[in-house]
Amino acid sequence: MSVEEIVKDVLINDIGMDDVAVSLNSRLKEDLGVDSTELVEVIAALEKKFKIKIPEGIIGLRSSVKDIVDFLNNVKVN
Amino acid sequence: MKRQVVITGIGIVSPAGIGKDEHWKNISSGGSFVSEITKFDAGRYPSRIAGQINGNLDTAVGALNLTPLPKRLLKKIDRFSHLALMASEFAIADAKLNLDAEDKERVGVFIGNVIGGWEFAEVELRDLYAAGLKEVSPYQATAWFPAAPQGQISIYYGLLGYSQTIIADSASGLVSIGSAYRAIQEGEADVILAGGSEAPISPYGLLCCNTSGALTNRNEDPKAAYRPFDKNRDGFAIGEGAGIVILESFEHAAKRGAKIYGEITGFSMTNDGIHPTKQDVEGRQFARAMQTAIKEAGIAVDDIDYICANGSATKEGDIAETKAIKAVFGKKAYQMSISAPKSAIGNLLGAAGAVDAATTLLAMENSFVPPTVNLENKDESCDLNYTPLKGREHRMKAALVNSIGRGGVNAVMVVRG
Repeated sequence: MSVEEIVKDVLINDIGMDDVAVSLNSRLKEDLGVDSTELVEVIAALEKKFKIKIPEGIIGLRSSVKDIVDFLNNVKVN
Repeated sequence: MKRQVVITGIGIVSPAGIGKDEHWKNISSGGSFVSEITKFDAGRYPSRIAGQINGNLDTAVGALNLTPLPKRLLKKIDRFSHLALMASEFAIADAKLNLDAEDKERVGVFIGNVIGGWEFAEVELRDLYAAGLKEVSPYQATAWFPAAPQGQISIYYGLLGYSQTIIADSASGLVSIGSAYRAIQEGEADVILAGGSEAPISPYGLLCCNTSGALTNRNEDPKAAYRPFDKNRDGFAIGEGAGIVILESFEHAAKRGAKIYGEITGFSMTNDGIHPTKQDVEGRQFARAMQTAIKEAGIAVDDIDYICANGSATKEGDIAETKAIKAVFGKKAYQMSISAPKSAIGNLLGAAGAVDAATTLLAMENSFVPPTVNLENKDESCDLNYTPLKGREHRMKAALVNSIGRGGVNAVMVVRG
């Protein structure tokens, strides 16, 4: 699976979002209705799935799925 | 002038069935729905049986043409909130209550519960000790606490009215309905979703219940284990479930042409004031609660056609209930139709009294007394007609619902059909 597919899988299966709602351009708060509590879950789920520690402030309510994918691809490369 | 309060909708999720029709069909059948606990290894527990809700909850909801809860929400709540939301959805549909047409500031939520969301909480507790603070779910605070169902129901339906969470051990569900009755009587709300919910079948939840010393240890024969008023009883089995009724002022129900199951005409509560876990074997305050509720209802004891008994199945609890009924009803006690339908499904703790109240309304609607399961050899100290093994047809115009909680809580409600 690509990083994008894994991130979407986390949002859909771990967080429980509707699969039709999650696209690359979806913004966490504005499009997907994520609040500050759910953001903690999203980050924790991503850290567990990718086995990394995501520094504070990298993923926020304004982040989009693409922002998350880009960050993770960058981490992978490095 | 106090307003009349009627019941217009019933929602039940119990070990006997998902939805009131399946619940009623099974609880009136004489069968037992108590079984060995399988969702985790309960092998070390003294009592390791329970009334469990089997089957996929979402499939059952879909089959009733109702909307399943979003899976995103389910990940944030404990099972006891899930059951409460389902029972609420069933009750609202049964009442044909269109919430969009209501003034939601006049619609409240009263929920009874005992132990809170331990299924969710103990996973987080384990993660705390095994992996540290960061592994604990951010929903721990909102998933666990006993008032979570009240909050979740109010959020899900946008209900803004006078609301409460009631904790009175296994009397919580009946006290919740009784308190909601008082609130509508006094004009605090026009409609209240009232009842109780409990999901105690988790390692720690089961431990909490086992340490009371009141649970049956008849693990080798779960279906025969919970046997109120029987001389071989040794305690009760727990169960999970939720019961919600829609209470409305009579005016509000009549205005929208609602079907009315019955009217609540009396409610009372007393305390034994004797022991943390054992009832007063003389049933003195239990009797007083019955007398006060019947007095409020403005009827004679002879007008009561059925008693939905608490059915503790503890040695002293069943004797206490028998003595209390005799103290209130005198000779009439021996002609009274009485039964403990919870013998079929277990004591649902915070939901027990609410499911008992709902079952009583269904009994009245069907003119049929559901049986006390497993009552094969009556204890000579419990010599009343507790409807052993098989239900029977019986017209009921007024009924009593009894509900007991640890610490000596006695709650009694009068309903008129």
